[in-house]
Amino acid sequence: MSLADLQRSFCDALRSPNAPPDALLDELLEDGLALQRFNVYRNNFIVLNGDALAEMYPVIKRLIGDSAFRILATAYVREYPPMERALLVYGKDFPNFLASIPELSELHYLQDVARLEYAWTVAYHAEDVDRLEEHQITELPAEKFELLRLRPHPSMCLLHSEYPVYRIWEANQSEDPEEVISLDDGPSHVVIIRPGTRVETREASIGAFTLFQRLGSGETIGDAYNAAIQIEPAFNLELFFSQHLFDGTFCSL
Amino acid sequence: MQEAISTHGSVSAPVPSRAGAGLKSQHYQSIIDQQPDVGWFEVHPENYMGKGGPPLRYLERIRRDYPLSLHSVGTSLGSYLPLDQNHLKKLKQLVDRFEPGLVSEHLSWSHGYEWYTHDLIPLIYTEETLQLVVDHIDQVQETLQRQILIENPSSYLQFKKSEIAEQVFYVEAAKRSGAGLLLDINNVFVSCSNHGWSIDEYLGAVPAGLVGEIHLAGHSIQELEGQSLRIDDHGSTVCPEVWKLYRHYIDAKGTAPTLIEWDSNIPQFAELYREVRFAEVYLQRARECIRDVIS
Repeated sequence: MSLADLQRSFCDALRSPNAPPDALLDELLEDGLALQRFNVYRNNFIVLNGDALAEMYPVIKRLIGDSAFRILATAYVREYPPMERALLVYGKDFPNFLASIPELSELHYLQDVARLEYAWTVAYHAEDVDRLEEHQITELPAEKFELLRLRPHPSMCLLHSEYPVYRIWEANQSEDPEEVISLDDGPSHVVIIRPGTRVETREASIGAFTLFQRLGSGETIGDAYNAAIQIEPAFNLELFFSQHLFDGTFCSL
Repeated sequence: MQEAISTHGSVSAPVPSRAGAGLKSQHYQSIIDQQPDVGWFEVHPENYMGKGGPPLRYLERIRRDYPLSLHSVGTSLGSYLPLDQNHLKKLKQLVDRFEPGLVSEHLSWSHGYEWYTHDLIPLIYTEETLQLVVDHIDQVQETLQRQILIENPSSYLQFKKSEIAEQVFYVEAAKRSGAGLLLDINNVFVSCSNHGWSIDEYLGAVPAGLVGEIHLAGHSIQELEGQSLRIDDHGSTVCPEVWKLYRHYIDAKGTAPTLIEWDSNIPQFAELYREVRFAEVYLQRARECIRDVIS
């Protein structure tokens, strides 16, 4: 076997649920334990990457249990091996992978909780930017305000679910959640953002959620506000800005 | 070696011949609050390749008070595939930003396709792979504009086609590329035990003048059909045999910056610190030893 063939064959066998082929075993120095020695690497591959996935998805692990999570993680690592040199955000395809498992495909909320967890870690490692400062707005003529295009912090992720995923996620931040949450408790609009050093996960009203969506796609404050009050007539822009205009939610102009 | 250092750019905060610790995120706050007497810290640059966020801020804060070493796990020096230029670029950015005193990488490979194993797989020790590794080290040193150290691996299997002893391959790769050596004494112990190699022959082949750093770590033992396989999991204290090898090595060959690695079952900082202090005491004794010999 050439070096390239050997390295490819080794990788194929690491990833495979089956025993390594004889052609590969023939390349290993045999002392009666060659297969077991190879299996140390196969096991490491599954465990090291499975641990990275478990770090990304602690709530999913709690919801489905350790042993079920381990089985799913093994299948996931084999199907979606890491493409990046850094394992910081390994597991991008895990929400869709969960949806593809027949036993779980009815549990749509699981995929949404997984999306929330993924967004949390992406936000944690997102770019750092200067925040919008008060003087940048006060220096502006008042009539220009609604023509502004505010940029939300690059860590921001907006997540809409038909299920109360924010409450599910929040209740499962502790080891023994006591809260009983019904899946019929309604949809949630979740904002995940890291304006400073801490990732914040907030539930937003549908008006605020729409405003963020529109501002994020580059609309002016005026246009974004119009969209927000159409969907939530009681949406109060003044109250919203009093909380979020200068708390790091938005980038410097 | 001297020439390699002077031609590969400046090093702004040298890592001293003292004991250092692998920096773990669990310990950021204790280190900032307590300012422990640790000679230096080492990190895997791959853990700081995010665009921003707390890890980079913590590292910046800790770098202000301590010299730093970058110990890469993602270059895959021994793959038949070309080096990942994007990874190299990110590594270079971190070197420029944090100005580490040492940069190192493993003598191993980790990808046979576009995906990545995240484990360090042993090489086939032939002239062909030696040339490949030397070319890859050259490229890394060229990109980073500095010398790197290469680390001897721990391993659980050997390839039939290997025709060069690991220690000979390891030293030769450094000599041909102008790299230095990161001597992992726990890995020497683990690999020699797993393959029945002689520890004395292994360490005897390593020229002390090339050793720029030493690693120490704990390992575990797995029983395979009556035979013990030592697993390099960095999940416990350094074992007595490895401490003994380390003391003999530095007493006889001289000291080098020494790192305690602890990457799984991560303890409270105090326990890691205790291991660092042991290494520090041994380093001090070795220096006194050498002073006695000279006087």
